[in-house]
Amino acid sequence: MSSVTFEHVYKRFGDVVAVNDLSIEVEDKEFLVFVGPSGCGKTTSLRLLAGLEEISDGQILIGDRIVNDVPPKDRDIAMVFQSYALYPHMSVYDNMAFGLKLRKTPKSQIDERVKVAAGLLGIEQLLDRKPKQLSGGQRQRVAVGRAIVREPAVFLFDEPLSNLDAKLRVETRANISKLHKRLATTFIYVTHDQVEAMTMASRIAVMKDGILQQIDSPQDLYDNPANVFVGGFIGSPSMNFFDATLVESDGKLEINTGGFRLEVPAEKAKEWRAFAGKPVIFGIRPEDIHAKQFAPPNILESDMDAKVDVTELMGNEIFLYLMSKDNKQFIARVDPRVRVSNDDKIDLAVNMANAHIFDPKTETSLA
Amino acid sequence: MYRNKYRLIVPFLIPSLLLYVTFVLYPYGRAMYISLTQWRGLSKPPVFIGLENFSKMLGDSNFWNALGNNAFYIITLPLFTIGLALFFAFVLTQGARFARFYRITFFFPQVMSMVAIGVLWSFVYHPTIGFLNSFLKLVGMSDPPVWLGNPDYVLSALSGVAVWQAVGFFMVLFIAAMESIPATYYEAAMIDGATQWNIFWNITIPLIWGTVQTALIFIMIEATSMFTITQTMTEGGPSRGSEVLSTYLYHEAFINSNFGYGTAIAVALFFLTLLISVILTRLLRRESLEF
Repeated sequence: MSSVTFEHVYKRFGDVVAVNDLSIEVEDKEFLVFVGPSGCGKTTSLRLLAGLEEISDGQILIGDRIVNDVPPKDRDIAMVFQSYALYPHMSVYDNMAFGLKLRKTPKSQIDERVKVAAGLLGIEQLLDRKPKQLSGGQRQRVAVGRAIVREPAVFLFDEPLSNLDAKLRVETRANISKLHKRLATTFIYVTHDQVEAMTMASRIAVMKDGILQQIDSPQDLYDNPANVFVGGFIGSPSMNFFDATLVESDGKLEINTGGFRLEVPAEKAKEWRAFAGKPVIFGIRPEDIHAKQFAPPNILESDMDAKVDVTELMGNEIFLYLMSKDNKQFIARVDPRVRVSNDDKIDLAVNMANAHIFDPKTETSLA
Repeated sequence: MYRNKYRLIVPFLIPSLLLYVTFVLYPYGRAMYISLTQWRGLSKPPVFIGLENFSKMLGDSNFWNALGNNAFYIITLPLFTIGLALFFAFVLTQGARFARFYRITFFFPQVMSMVAIGVLWSFVYHPTIGFLNSFLKLVGMSDPPVWLGNPDYVLSALSGVAVWQAVGFFMVLFIAAMESIPATYYEAAMIDGATQWNIFWNITIPLIWGTVQTALIFIMIEATSMFTITQTMTEGGPSRGSEVLSTYLYHEAFINSNFGYGTAIAVALFFLTLLISVILTRLLRRESLEF
C-alpha cells in the first residue's frame, strides 16, 4: 500500500518527448488508469514508474521515497505485462514463486502465498503446467498471480487485457476490479481502451502526445471533458463536433453550424452568453441526440432535423449516421422503436443540458 | 498430377543423391571394409583379417594415450569455449560499449585458415622469440615454460588455441539466440528481483538451451578430432604428448602405410563421436520452448 507521485516528469528519446511535464498524485489504494491512443506516453509513464526506463527530468515518489535511482526490484512494485512475460521454461508454480525465491523467502511461506494467490484466481489446478499449455485467459491470470504473491505496494498493469477475446475481456475486467477491492492496494493500469478505463478506474488520466490532458473520475471526465480530445476519446461512439457560431438575436442565444440551428435554452444560455458572437466548436454526444417522438422528458430540449444516411441496429438501440444540410455527418443513438430508412428526414430533439462548447483555437472547454 | 510432380522432383534429386552416394556413403562403407583388412596401401590388394585390427587397438598403448589426450580436449574445449562464448555473448547483448567492435574482433579467428592459426600460435608459443614468453619475462617470470615442448603443458597450450579459434563463432551463435529472447522476460525478472547473474542463469541459459546443446555437440566433435591444430603445431609431439586419435591414425596410415590399422582407428573414432553425440543429445534434452 502506497501513494505514487509524478512531479514534473519528463522522458525524452532523442528529440522525441515521450512524457512531457507529467504531474500526478495517485492516492494510496487508488485505481488509476492511464488511457490514450498509441504513442501518447502512457506505457512510458508506467515504465518510468517501474524503473524500466530512466527519467530524463523530474522525480517519481512511491510513498515518501524518491525512486528515480532505485532499481526496479527495490521499488516494491509488481507488474503485469501485455505479453504476460511468463517464463516459458518454468511451471506456473515456479513462475509465481520465482520472485519470492530470489528474495530468499522461506519455502513454506512461498508455498502458502502461491497457493493463496492461485486460489484467489482459480488456477490451483494449473500449478504444474507450463505456460504454453495454458489458454490466453489462464496465462493472464497466472501473470496476475505472479504479481499478487509478491504483495507489492503498487501493482502496475500494462494493457493486460489486449490479448484476450472480447467476452473474456469483459469477464477479466470485472475480476480485476474485484481484485482491487480485495487487495486494497494501489493499482496503476495502462490501456488504450476507454471502456476499460471507464469501467475500472477510480480516476482516469487521459494522455496525448506525452501530455496529460485531464485527470478525473470517469463520470466527471465523461460529463465535463476539458478539451476536444478528451471529449472525443471518452465515450463510444465519439462525441460529435461542429464548427459553429453562437448567435444572439432578440435576446435568444442560438448555435449556428451552417448546417443547422439550435436554440440554446435559457438555463444553458446563462453559461454561454459570454461567448455570444464568437466562433466555437459545438460538441454533443450521440446519446444526447434523440428521435423527437421518443425523446425522454425533463431534458433541455432543442429541436432540429437531419437526413438519415445509414442506420445501424444494435438491438437495444439504433446508431443513426445523419447528414446535416451542409453535408456534415454526425451520429445519434436513438430509441430502437424508431423506424426510418436511408434518405428519410427525421425530427430530432437535442438535450442541450449535456452540450459543450470549446475554443476553436485552443480546443479547450469554454463552459 | 502427382506423377507430374515426381517427374519434376526426381531429376533434381538424382545428381545430389549420386554425389552423396559416391563421396559419402561409398567411402564410409569402403572404410568399414578396409578396417577389417591388412593393407599396405598401394601394392597388394587388402587381406581380410576380421576384427584383428580392433583387438590390436585394445592392447595398443599409443591408441589409449591418444584417446586420453582426446578426453582432455573433450572436457576442456566445451567448458572453456562454451563458457567464454556465453559470457561474451551475454555481456555484448546487455548494451556493452563498442559491442559491434568486439563482436567482429572475436569472430575474426573464424575466418582465418586453421593452418595459418596453427603457424601463428606456434610463434606465439615460441620459447625464446614468442610473444607469450616475452610477455611472461616482462612481468617477471624468469623461466617461463616451453609450451609446445613440454608434455605437461602442450595439451593446455593447444586447447588454448582451439578455444581462441572457436569462441567467436559460438559467441555469434549465442548472441543471435539471446537477441531473439523478448526483452519483457528480462524486465519481468528485474522487477521480480533478479540480479544479472540470476537473469543469466535462470532466464537466458534455459531460453537458449537448444542453441547451447547444438554448440556443445559441435565443439565436442571438434574435441574428438583436433587434427589441424595438432598436426600444424606439434605433429603429436613431444613424445606423443599431444597425439590425438586423428593424428595417430594419420601417422599409421600415411607415414607407416598401415592403412588397415589406420582406418580401423578412424572407424573407432567415428563410433566414439557418434556415441558422444547421442549421449549428449539424450543428457541435454529439454522440452522445446515457445516464446
